[in-house]
Amino acid sequence: MNPEPFQQLDRVIHEKGRLGIMSMLAASPELSFTELRGALGMTDGNLTTHIRALQEGGYVSVAKSYQNNRPLTTCSLTAPGRKAFAEYINLLEQIVRQNKPR
Amino acid sequence: MALWCEVIGMDTNWAEENLKTIRTLMERSAIYRRALAPIMLFAGTMGVLTAAIGIWFQQDSTQAFGTLWLGTAAIVVAGAFLTARRQAIKDKEHFWSPPTRRVGQALLPALSSGMFLGGVFTFVGLTNAITLTFIWLFFYGCALHSAGFFMMRGMKCFGWIFIGLAAVTALVLCLLNVTRPLAVPPSNIAITAHWLMGFFFGVLHLAYGAYLYWTEKRKNAA
Repeated sequence: MNPEPFQQLDRVIHEKGRLGIMSMLAASPELSFTELRGALGMTDGNLTTHIRALQEGGYVSVAKSYQNNRPLTTCSLTAPGRKAFAEYINLLEQIVRQNKPR
Repeated sequence: MALWCEVIGMDTNWAEENLKTIRTLMERSAIYRRALAPIMLFAGTMGVLTAAIGIWFQQDSTQAFGTLWLGTAAIVVAGAFLTARRQAIKDKEHFWSPPTRRVGQALLPALSSGMFLGGVFTFVGLTNAITLTFIWLFFYGCALHSAGFFMMRGMKCFGWIFIGLAAVTALVLCLLNVTRPLAVPPSNIAITAHWLMGFFFGVLHLAYGAYLYWTEKRKNAA
């Protein structure tokens, strides 16, 4: 058993809520705050905290605009965010593979 | 050693569970996002034009009615396909993306059943034009509602509007028929059906298309 993949897991992405946000954003060019909140069933405060953590990590960019005179916050993955997410998935697959009975 | 094995087993399960959750969330997130306004406006225009042709040229037999509207449906489906394809080419993206595939799969059962039933009823003469109209409206509403699970912008709601309004109109016509048996004389059945089709497939699509046109973001992606 090689413990290395476990140690390499990105702590910023690893948290359940943030992993949900990253997964949703990885499959879509951008998503609004409302779409994320609805899909992940999070409260406004919880989602804001997680998005801020991902933003500070440089994984997510947040854009504020107006649509039909209403404020619209949209989130998207940055290039480093996309790369970190791909690496995280690779590590998970590696963990699953190395522990599968042969 | 037993504890170590247990920890490894738990971690593997956890990693597998995480991968499953990620896959589910990614699938849920990848929804159909192409601009629907041009498709809706095209469908609405075709609906209004076909109703006008049917009424103007007095297409008052069930067969003429069915043929005219089935032909229009085929043109609208082809037009919608070409419009979505053109958008994909313009954005340098794959047309048959997973979200497009899911929308197609969701639309297909109800749409093809409606068209098949319409074709059979038209050419065998099992029903009249008004009944055919309601069959199409209910099937089309169901198709939109199914596709709405993979689309944005209130498509499910639009499906319900078709189903709800069709149900109310059918009830009103039934009551009218009971209270005033000749409110819709047999000679006028197909013409009344053209009016209904024009309103539902023409005006409703135009209204939804106009709403989308003014509110839709200009960026497309499937």
